[in-house]
Amino acid sequence: MRAIAILLVCAALAWAQPGRRGRGGPPAHAAPLNPAEVEQGEELYNQSCTMCHGLKGTVGDRAPALAANRRYLRATDAALFDAIKNGIKGTLMPPTPLPDADIGKLVAYIRSLRASAVDAPVNGDLTRGGAVFDGKGACRQCHMVDGRGGLLGPDLSSLGAERSLRYIEEALTRPKAHIPRGYQPVSFVDAEGRRVRAVVKNETNFSLQLLDEAGRLHLLLREEARGLRYEEQSLMPADYDKRLTAGEFQDLLAFLSRRARSRGTR
Amino acid sequence: MKLALVLTLAAWGAAAQVTYPDLVKADPRNWLTYQGPYHARRHSLLDQINARNVRDLVPKWVFHVPGASRLESVPIVVDGVMYVSQPNEAYALDGRTGRLIWEYRHEPAMQRGPNRGLAAYGNRVYMGTPSAELVALDARTGSLVWKAKMAEPEEGYWSPAAPLAIKDKIIAGIAPGDHGLNGFLDAYDPNTGERLWRWHSIPKPGEPGNETWAGDSWKTGGGNTWLTGSFDPELNLIYWGIGNPAPDFDGDVRKGDNLYTESMVALDADTGRMKWYFQFTPHDVHDWDAVEIPVLMDAPFDGKPRKLLAQANRNGFYYVLDRADGQFLLGTPFIKQLNWATGLTPEGRPIRAPGIVPSLEGTRTCPPTAGATNWHSPAFNPDTGLFYVVATEGCGINYKARDTFRPGGFPFMATGYIEDPEEPWQMYVRALELTTGKLRWEYQQIGSKRYGAGLLSTAGGLLFAGDEQGALTALDAATGKPLWHFNTGQQITASPVSYEFKGKQYIALAAGSNVIAFGLHDPAAEQASE
Repeated sequence: MRAIAILLVCAALAWAQPGRRGRGGPPAHAAPLNPAEVEQGEELYNQSCTMCHGLKGTVGDRAPALAANRRYLRATDAALFDAIKNGIKGTLMPPTPLPDADIGKLVAYIRSLRASAVDAPVNGDLTRGGAVFDGKGACRQCHMVDGRGGLLGPDLSSLGAERSLRYIEEALTRPKAHIPRGYQPVSFVDAEGRRVRAVVKNETNFSLQLLDEAGRLHLLLREEARGLRYEEQSLMPADYDKRLTAGEFQDLLAFLSRRARSRGTR
Repeated sequence: MKLALVLTLAAWGAAAQVTYPDLVKADPRNWLTYQGPYHARRHSLLDQINARNVRDLVPKWVFHVPGASRLESVPIVVDGVMYVSQPNEAYALDGRTGRLIWEYRHEPAMQRGPNRGLAAYGNRVYMGTPSAELVALDARTGSLVWKAKMAEPEEGYWSPAAPLAIKDKIIAGIAPGDHGLNGFLDAYDPNTGERLWRWHSIPKPGEPGNETWAGDSWKTGGGNTWLTGSFDPELNLIYWGIGNPAPDFDGDVRKGDNLYTESMVALDADTGRMKWYFQFTPHDVHDWDAVEIPVLMDAPFDGKPRKLLAQANRNGFYYVLDRADGQFLLGTPFIKQLNWATGLTPEGRPIRAPGIVPSLEGTRTCPPTAGATNWHSPAFNPDTGLFYVVATEGCGINYKARDTFRPGGFPFMATGYIEDPEEPWQMYVRALELTTGKLRWEYQQIGSKRYGAGLLSTAGGLLFAGDEQGALTALDAATGKPLWHFNTGQQITASPVSYEFKGKQYIALAAGSNVIAFGLHDPAAEQASE
């Protein structure tokens, strides 16, 4: 594996003759993503970049995972364009011989990896996705969208603006290693001796702020939370790829990814 | 699955958390509106903390509001959950421990402040925003349920006042007062955000009162509604103070009384129609918004039982009106340095002192534009019969120039004023006899010159007052003697509240960038608590 990588880097370096550099400047920043360009960028990416940067920019074996949750040094289109075109001195990142138009497609693809879901191209039918959200997916039981829905899970009204498409996909299909803060399921015994199921909105060594299934807040000192039990599993199912048909899943993904309050998509 | 869905649906429609009867009853363990109970006396009936034990009052918790500077938010408390705000943001806290339950950040987050607090109704809390929207948030999670556009933010409008929840309506006011933007008061459906009525503070041509504006000057007359009013459920009347006319300092271009600026108005809660008005400062040229809190009480006046409304006005006079019909009963200065009027007529109209109007060269004016008092809340204690107000003694220099209205939220003040920091301004807490306005006692807030904090009276015989130096002080309600104080470390520009949770009384307020709650020292409980 390593040998191949080094060979590729060498090959890339060899292509990078001064005379072969394109003349065109970097593209203007933050133009809307063009789905066709993103798709072509992905092809180019898979040919040239996955070795170091990982599939969909997720692995980062020898180079930064381009779509991971980190602070990027190269955040603008121009900076990305420059790094791809000219390489990065003192690192394994080589200049590329690709024409500027192709570099632009690579930039578009990398941006799509990093983009909020609402900016990423996604197939699927919004109306049908909404029906899955309310019906077969039963998402609204726990999640509020536009002021309607359950209280135990996060409000998803602006999910598409806040999260990447990959994040949403994973949330639907992969159990989280850790239950996010604010959504830890617990149960405790109340003053009437009933076991109450709730999520932890906040807690310290001394107190707990709990929201139960009926939407009631319980503000408790630790010693008041009798029989307190922490559940190991999140309340969020992570098998939507199995619960739903492929079409339903894609529709749901489209519906979720287009929730962006700031864009007026309510 | 089906059962779960049904259960969840039932939970959405669960019994309302704060009902209209709750708001009328005003259980003292809660602090349900900006003013506490509708009458805005800011007199808590809790007496666990009292004059005998207040020396044992200690801070129980501090919540830092990220990015805040001088908070003016007054917390509301519902069954132990405290809701507090700053512009674009709302926080729900555990009232016993100060721990965060949820936070809400509004978008677009325009940079205009302050925000003075929230209203609670049903399972929701309501807040105005710098983008001139009214938002309804789920009280349990902070989820945005709806938002209603009150006005165009691009025109310069925004909504700083805490809304007021009444029966099936959320009442919300608007700002600013100094941009030539005409004010209004709105009522919204708590469930849908639909606007139910709007009362315009500047009458249009053909409407009574428009004749008090020369020419087209009514079009940029101002008259905003930027501080929360009070409410009488029996009379079904909303009382709201109206802000200054624009341009603030040049009255030449808006000759006339300029109704309903600088007035107290009583609006029918069902329709928004005005039942009566009383104008404190006709044709104001000193920017003395009359938005100060209208405090309601029933007491004998001239031997007859009356429904009263008392207001200490920014113009320096303390007023008592009959709140059923707006009749003027009393007006007397509550500051010593007052040079713009020599008194009031029997109808309550000021008798102007000649020459005390803004001028090109500047005119020394007392009180200054900041006013004899301002947004900081007064209090009324029915046990002592005293009306308490934070008063400023001082003067400013007021100027005048010709100004042109520009759309887009630009100041339309016709220049302004100088409030010389070297001037020996001084703030006091003053206790006035309700029906005479006579000074019973005063407490000098040494080192505090301007923009004070509001007051909280309690059945424990205490009056809590914050100040510019950051001290929260408990005064003896009958004598003004200080009994306890705490240095919060930051200038206090908000009003304290009191509530009870799990059998313990708290005093809480926003101080600078923090919310702090105080309770009696309890060594046994300290072990278990935060």
